[in-house]
Amino acid sequence: MIRIVHAQLVRLARGRTIAVLVSTTLLFAVLTSLTVFGTASSEPAVGGAAGRGSTTISALEGPSGGTEAFAIGASFTGFLVFVTFIALIATEFSGGTWRALLLRDPHRRRVLVGTVAAVLVLAAGTVALAELLTLVASWIVAPANGVATAEWFTISGVAAAAGNYLTVLAGIIGWAVFGTTLAVIFRSAPLALGVGFAWAGPFENIVVDSWDTGYRLFPGQVLASLIRGGTVELTMGRAVFTAIVYVTGAALVALTLVSRRDVTA
Amino acid sequence: MTNAVAVSGLTKRYGHRTVVDHLTLELPRGVVAGFIGPNGAGKTTTMAMLLGLVRPSEGSGTVLGWPIGRPAEFLGDVGALIEGPAFYPSISGRRNLEMLAIAGGHHRGRITGLLEQVGLAGRGEDQYRSYSLGMKQRLGIAAALLGDPELLILDEPANGLDPQGVQEMRGLIGRLAGGGRTVLVSSHDLSELEQVCDWVVLIEGGRALYEGPTRDLLDDRGGRLTVLPEWPADGARLIELLRTHDLEVGQEDGRIVVSAGRGVQPALAAAVNRLAFDAGIVLVELSPVRTTLEERYLSMMEVAG
Repeated sequence: MIRIVHAQLVRLARGRTIAVLVSTTLLFAVLTSLTVFGTASSEPAVGGAAGRGSTTISALEGPSGGTEAFAIGASFTGFLVFVTFIALIATEFSGGTWRALLLRDPHRRRVLVGTVAAVLVLAAGTVALAELLTLVASWIVAPANGVATAEWFTISGVAAAAGNYLTVLAGIIGWAVFGTTLAVIFRSAPLALGVGFAWAGPFENIVVDSWDTGYRLFPGQVLASLIRGGTVELTMGRAVFTAIVYVTGAALVALTLVSRRDVTA
Repeated sequence: MTNAVAVSGLTKRYGHRTVVDHLTLELPRGVVAGFIGPNGAGKTTTMAMLLGLVRPSEGSGTVLGWPIGRPAEFLGDVGALIEGPAFYPSISGRRNLEMLAIAGGHHRGRITGLLEQVGLAGRGEDQYRSYSLGMKQRLGIAAALLGDPELLILDEPANGLDPQGVQEMRGLIGRLAGGGRTVLVSSHDLSELEQVCDWVVLIEGGRALYEGPTRDLLDDRGGRLTVLPEWPADGARLIELLRTHDLEVGQEDGRIVVSAGRGVQPALAAAVNRLAFDAGIVLVELSPVRTTLEERYLSMMEVAG
């Protein structure tokens, strides 16, 4: 599998791709920090939601304050990861490059896992960079918003940063597996994207508006809760457990399909 | 020594549709084999089964001595271009090859030489999407050669190429065939295959109609000569003379065509020449009728169809 990961990284980790990723990450860091620090309230919202999505000055002054902007910003990136994986993996099937890889390594599950892992390696690096840049941007904008930063650079602060990183990465892995599974099922980027958009976009969000249980059941809502560190509707522990069940199921579907289907494209 | 490819009763069904129907064939090592058949005859599906991409519904087979159900055992020694070249469009031809070499555990040091071998030395750094169809096909051949394979499987490598590209591809396949390498190549261009293949597999409706040396297939109707006397007035006399010696005689395009069964062309030519000479008839042409692969293919299709 290492060979497949290496091969895919040779393709993905090009100067141009890296430049785009770094630029986008920098933009994310600046915009997120400015927005979060600029909109932080001095008092918790009435009936304020647990978890992420809004924050207060006091929260930003805590140990996790340095990476709070990163965590809030990252909670909105799940859908982006989802469609990116759908597009990347489905294109492997429709473009014939999946077939070309299988002629080099016929272990289909290994090739699929290696391909996804390579993109996740890149994603993990991007997330780390995003967290670091957001921390720097937050440190720059904090004084102007009256936020003390002393607690950020303590052991607790580092632990909180690591926790935020792992939470976001876990969510990204979940979205990646869902996206990959849809791509494997449909083997066509437009079709898989259409279904993915319809499900994770309008369907889930419209249904949960009138059916609260959807927050605890729908895969997209579960992963959103996970990345936010838990929500009122779904605690972090429950989100992790449900996400593991869903991601494992989706991965099994994808691996079973790739190993059994004929490669005809 | 085992055959490069041997399949027995190989069958592939999609629902009620049988694409490959109990195909049995053997390819000796070292041959350049043409895989011929009309569209939908099952050529690509057969190749895909040999490469582990498609699972047979029935039957068995071996590639380089290994069962086709265990492609990991033989794919390292097999290079293939099937269903057209497939590469990542936004990276260079060289980087595409590097990626595949890494994935297959092949030595990347061969890439520069391979790009030269397929005539892409000056374009290796260009994005794949900027390549012409011919260049894409040649990069596909280079990818197939990454592991210096014992067996090369090429599915329509000249598909979509212009006449010059077809000629270049034919030359390339001819060069690749050296050194004991076995090549299985499918094509619709039978004149091209006739020039490079010493073995032919002819399939129709998923079944093999013929499998064996190209020479034997083309010699099947051998023993035919075209004869042209110097003076047209001698034509009728020559026909009569030949018929009295139990030879089959007919006329095609103003020439006399003489047949005497299979594999006797040299003796037949000598006999016809001697008879004409003794009768005082001077011949200006005495040549064997060569059956082309295309003619043979079409006649076999007629019989099969």
